[in-house]
Amino acid sequence: MNPPPALCILLTPVGDFEEGLLAAVANEVRRVFGRPTRAARLLADIGFARDPLRGQVGSTPLLERLAALCPADALKVLALTEEDLFIPVFTYVFGEAQLGGRACIVSTHRLGLAPGFPLPHAALRSRLLKEAVHELGHTFGLRHCPDPSCPMHYCRSARDVDRKGGELCRYCRIQLNDALARAGP
Amino acid sequence: MAAARILVVDDELIMRESLARWLERDGHAVATAASGEEALAKCREARYDILLLDIKLEGMSGLEVLRRIKEEDPDAAVIMITAYGSIPTAIEAMKNGAADYLLKPFEPEELGVVIENLLRRREQARETLYLRERVREAARFENLIGQSPAMQQVFQLIADVAPTDAPVLIDGETGTGKGLAARAVHSLSARREGPFVAVHCAAIPETLMESELFGHMRGAFTDAKETKRGRLEMAHGGTLFLDEIGEVGMRTQIDLLRVLEDGVFYRVGGTQPLEADFRVIAATNLDLERAVREGRFRGDLFYRLNVVRITMPPLRHRKQDIPLLAEHFLRRYALEARRPVERIGRDALDAMMVYDWPGNVRELENAIERAVVVGKGPQIRAEDLPITARPSAPAGPAVRLEEVEREHIRRVLDECGWNITRSARRLGIDRSTLYGKIRRWGLRKPS
Repeated sequence: MNPPPALCILLTPVGDFEEGLLAAVANEVRRVFGRPTRAARLLADIGFARDPLRGQVGSTPLLERLAALCPADALKVLALTEEDLFIPVFTYVFGEAQLGGRACIVSTHRLGLAPGFPLPHAALRSRLLKEAVHELGHTFGLRHCPDPSCPMHYCRSARDVDRKGGELCRYCRIQLNDALARAGP
Repeated sequence: MAAARILVVDDELIMRESLARWLERDGHAVATAASGEEALAKCREARYDILLLDIKLEGMSGLEVLRRIKEEDPDAAVIMITAYGSIPTAIEAMKNGAADYLLKPFEPEELGVVIENLLRRREQARETLYLRERVREAARFENLIGQSPAMQQVFQLIADVAPTDAPVLIDGETGTGKGLAARAVHSLSARREGPFVAVHCAAIPETLMESELFGHMRGAFTDAKETKRGRLEMAHGGTLFLDEIGEVGMRTQIDLLRVLEDGVFYRVGGTQPLEADFRVIAATNLDLERAVREGRFRGDLFYRLNVVRITMPPLRHRKQDIPLLAEHFLRRYALEARRPVERIGRDALDAMMVYDWPGNVRELENAIERAVVVGKGPQIRAEDLPITARPSAPAGPAVRLEEVEREHIRRVLDECGWNITRSARRLGIDRSTLYGKIRRWGLRKPS
């Protein structure tokens, strides 16, 4: 009998999101997490999460909705957006994840900021890939890592993201492998 | 940043939930309270490293909560959270002992910086306390005494295991002398001429642990201005004592396992392998098997450390040693304090024999030290002892040991007006242990 197909990681655009960037994130997720990926839109409207006073989108209600809509063939769902995200206590966030849960989201809104000149597309892409791995790592129970070169390191600014590398440090890799093994096929 | 226990106090559900979730991603253990009253109740049940306290709360104000918390625990680290219009109140809170304040909504990095600074200050203070305690302990190595079968077994095990180079895991309640047993193993080993290097795992933040254990090369990271030897290197030819091993984080567990498996290690930023030439002794008052089952402690590291197990018996299981220990402490403290106290009265000894000593030998030592200082005349009397002796096995239905401990702790807390520092000193245990017991027994300050 054939083994059951491996659960995938679902990538979902929220609002507008460039297809090329989504494809690049999918490649990176497959490389780092060793799971198949699939892309599908889960949310047609995000008005429920928009805060008109702040002009931003609350990431927490988005995650709750995405986790509820996550299909059975998906182990986790990673949402990608160009919206400016916030959680109530902070002025903004690059992204948010349910620690050890099913859903996470990353925004390019603040990642693309560069003082004085437009950020080259390749640089935005590089930041996005690292933050996507970061948020997805949280859903596998990984916490912030003190190693500044590890994608799980917490960055205080978008420019700090450039200092991170693309490879998980030894500790985070061991813990991710443990979590992936626990998650089954 | 080291993991901390943080209490978030805010009457807005969305604020406290979002803050709690954020802090959990940094590895902190977070509890929440929706009101000042709930926050005070939680602070009585458990110890928090940091409180994030909203100034504007329904019912009891944030400032009042701050005042009451500071009254109970002057060392409590409280960060006030305030809206733009309440800055003068936040400044008033700073004058009343708040450690810092944050203006909401705040930048995510602000929160990280404030918490990091607070934890660093706290950990430095803890490390200093620990080192002081180790210096004291080094001078009282002879405290490891006893004629009871339980202690004779411990002595025999120490003598058997000392000449080997096998890792040793010492467990037992607080105050039973785990550190002394570790020193005894070292002193009887072939490594006795080498150093005995103690690492208080609970006091060193995980971010500093790697450099502390392994050392670092100059320039390995921003603050590495000089090359520094780590404790593993300092322990070369001797013994490395990992105290409170159950408190180390996952990263350090992975590091230690690698050293024990490979027999070599590297300074941070170094490329030259260094030989791990030391014997490892670890100590814990936690149930490590349970921690392994719950995924908090790596099973592979546990099996590496648990080659020889020495369990230190609680004093209540070796009561026949009490007269010997009491005499020993009497002689020492009478000499130190230059007090003409020569003996222990019959009534005092009887009280000591029926008392359960939840703080173990350390509590007995503190009790005798106090009695020597406050007592009048050449003899220690029962009333000189900071214990109210009650039979541990009273007539009638048998009372569980746990109930006796609970009642004793409650009584001491009541007698000390719920002053945690004074109560802990009287019980001969540290404050965090006392907080743990208060939480465990669900003890509440009478209103």
